[in-house]
Amino acid sequence: MPRRLAVALCAAALVAVGCDKSVGPFEVLPPLEPSSLEPTAGSWRMIALTGPSQIAVAAPTATTSAAYLSELDAIKTSQANLTDHQRKAIAYWSGGGVLRWNQIVRELVARYNLPPAPRDEGGYPVPDAENPFGDPAFPFANPVYAARAYSYVSAAQYDALKSAWYWKFQYNRLSPAKIDNSVRALMPLTDLPSYPSEDAVISGVTVEMLKALFPAAVEEVTLKAAEQRNAALWSGKATASDIAAGLALGKSVAAVFIARAGGDGMRNAGGSATIWKAMADSATARGEIAWTSREVPARPPMLPLFGQVRAWMMTPADIVTQRPPPPPSTSSQQMKDETAEVKRTVEHLTDAQLAIAQKWNDGAGTYSPPGHWNDIALEYVRDAKMSEVRAARVFALLNMAMHDAGVGCWEAKFYYFNPRPSQMDPTIKTQIGLPNFPSYPSGHSTFSAAAAEVMSYFFPSGTENFDAMRDEAGISRLYGGIHYRSDIDAGKAHGGRIGAFTLNFARSDGAP
Amino acid sequence: MKQLRSLRAVILLAASAASAAAQTAGDGILMPKKVLSAGVVYSQDSWDQYWEGSLKRTNGNIGTLTTKSLMMVAGYGVTGNLSLTANLPYVWTHATQGVLSDMSGIQDLTISAKYRFLRVQSADRSLFSAFIVGTAAVPMSNYTPDFYPLSIGTGGERAGVRMTLDLQPTPGLFVTGSSAYTFCNNVKLNRNSYYTDGQLYLTNEVAMPNVLDNSVSAGYRRGRWMVPVTLTQQRTLGGGDIRRQDMPFVSNRMDFTRLDGVLRYSINVPKDLAFQIGAGHVLRGRNVGQSTTITSGLFYAYHF
Repeated sequence: MPRRLAVALCAAALVAVGCDKSVGPFEVLPPLEPSSLEPTAGSWRMIALTGPSQIAVAAPTATTSAAYLSELDAIKTSQANLTDHQRKAIAYWSGGGVLRWNQIVRELVARYNLPPAPRDEGGYPVPDAENPFGDPAFPFANPVYAARAYSYVSAAQYDALKSAWYWKFQYNRLSPAKIDNSVRALMPLTDLPSYPSEDAVISGVTVEMLKALFPAAVEEVTLKAAEQRNAALWSGKATASDIAAGLALGKSVAAVFIARAGGDGMRNAGGSATIWKAMADSATARGEIAWTSREVPARPPMLPLFGQVRAWMMTPADIVTQRPPPPPSTSSQQMKDETAEVKRTVEHLTDAQLAIAQKWNDGAGTYSPPGHWNDIALEYVRDAKMSEVRAARVFALLNMAMHDAGVGCWEAKFYYFNPRPSQMDPTIKTQIGLPNFPSYPSGHSTFSAAAAEVMSYFFPSGTENFDAMRDEAGISRLYGGIHYRSDIDAGKAHGGRIGAFTLNFARSDGAP
Repeated sequence: MKQLRSLRAVILLAASAASAAAQTAGDGILMPKKVLSAGVVYSQDSWDQYWEGSLKRTNGNIGTLTTKSLMMVAGYGVTGNLSLTANLPYVWTHATQGVLSDMSGIQDLTISAKYRFLRVQSADRSLFSAFIVGTAAVPMSNYTPDFYPLSIGTGGERAGVRMTLDLQPTPGLFVTGSSAYTFCNNVKLNRNSYYTDGQLYLTNEVAMPNVLDNSVSAGYRRGRWMVPVTLTQQRTLGGGDIRRQDMPFVSNRMDFTRLDGVLRYSINVPKDLAFQIGAGHVLRGRNVGQSTTITSGLFYAYHF
């Protein structure tokens, strides 16, 4: 009898927990069936290109030509011999190139969003683009590096696709499955002209941007890009010449954006010991307590000159004009009160408040606050069944607004050089990692307010939700013990003003 | 940041400390029939070096990480061959450097049933016993598993099965071998994405790897004294390494080999009141701290 009891206990325990532990699937992307072909997209306003025909795409061969017919035969041969691996690739990329690459970029940000480890002899090494596989790896994809990276990838995709759309409707060569009904359509079939292939355009522009931004990921992004092009061919969506033209166009557009990135000021954003000291001295000269790193050993501030990096929709003068007013003086009663509020909050944190702090933490090792808003945006874009070019527009404007928010926020942070709550009161312990840069204004609040502005423009029915998320992201920093309330309020107002610059563009860019 | 271990350390400690109570999951001891032993075990575990993957390092933003645990333990002999035990710790964590908040709270209730299915006494007075143990653990508060190394536990349910062989070549001396396989249930976070083991997961659910542990003990137990020395090896069957300069994560592959010694003395025989002290140290590890642990416990037995 006791033996049976013991066996039964063990069996029950095993059954209780030994079940399926797989997680996911997540962010499922059904085959994209765009709600519109967007025939006017070739005329929508460009970001960095001078116009849709800046990069020429030669006319395609006639669909009656021997060359084209042999391309069709090649597709039929491939389709007759598809492997499971190829079918999976088709299913994966049928979810949409803009959406898939957005997932991939978020993964890259999360992978590279780790600060350098201190050297044994003290101090910190600087990530080196010429040695991206080293320790530290390059880049350290911190929030502003990430904001800039998301914006460059999205903006380049957007210009490349508008240009592709221009040529598509210039030449009007339909997809192989439309032209020859013995070519099977293994992705949703539309009347969108397939020359140049939008899948190839996206693959070409994205892989070049990512090789520049995440050079150590070269192998995997190159394989992904090739797979995307192959999937377009195997699925009967594009022929070899559709793809070759698209790839060339995408790479040429990337070159324009990479040239812009090379001169946007990022390479100098780390500053120097002299500059860091001048910033601290400036705060001290104003009678304020200057920010110092709380890390052991003290770490140089994160990209103190990112505020000088070129914005997308704002001039350097706009950045200064829009700078938030000064924070409460470090010697003021308001600062004492706000510091006390942080301490009181973290010491009496409810479970619900901790959950909010963790939900919006988006700290080291994550896809960052801008990545969180891309995560939010993806489901809206997916559910709206947007064409590739319209999806690219949403992500481009969202990410350009967040890049500008990063620039504006960093300019203000390093202008005021305000201490964190844990510096004002070392007994304040945090519930999330303490960012290694000045406090005022809150970066997450600025990013989130700019993002909510843009998302509300594109998805007005979600406005209430976006505003609620913006506010929750902001207050999460108080719950986490890393920001004063005035940091959050100022960041929210600042982000809203910055988002308005992007909305001005969105309202006048010619997209219906 | 690495504190990973603390959590598992606490679990292990729970096991080795409870042993005093008359038994730990991995020893060759049963409670006498109709005897209830209740006690309290205090343990303190600290480390200032940890393994980030296989790289051993210190961390200026952690300093020394200390985990204290006060655990209520109870054991009852249902029959001469079946004992039930339960333990429930309250756990505190603290880092001496950096800004990260301390954590504390009621951790996990662990319940075990140990059954002796074989007992062979030979003519030369040697005694061989074999046991099977079923264990289940359930978090008793909603502490966060998303704040390693300061989290007080994994926040997930677990169930395990263990086989133990115990040989007493002569009365007093013993050698025990034990292996356990623990199934770990998935854990939920408050965030909808995390990166671990080379992949971005867009979900709040974390697949927890199962755990295999093996131990060998030898020592003396007779009359008032019990003095086991135990070598334990834990292997986590999956999970990723802590990345360079990253925080540890709840599903990291936490492996270690540790050595523990315990001295237990019963003040009045038969065993109404007993106390014990113990110490342990992690010899090798991966994604865990190289911790040193001290324990002390006090137990009282009721005879029904």
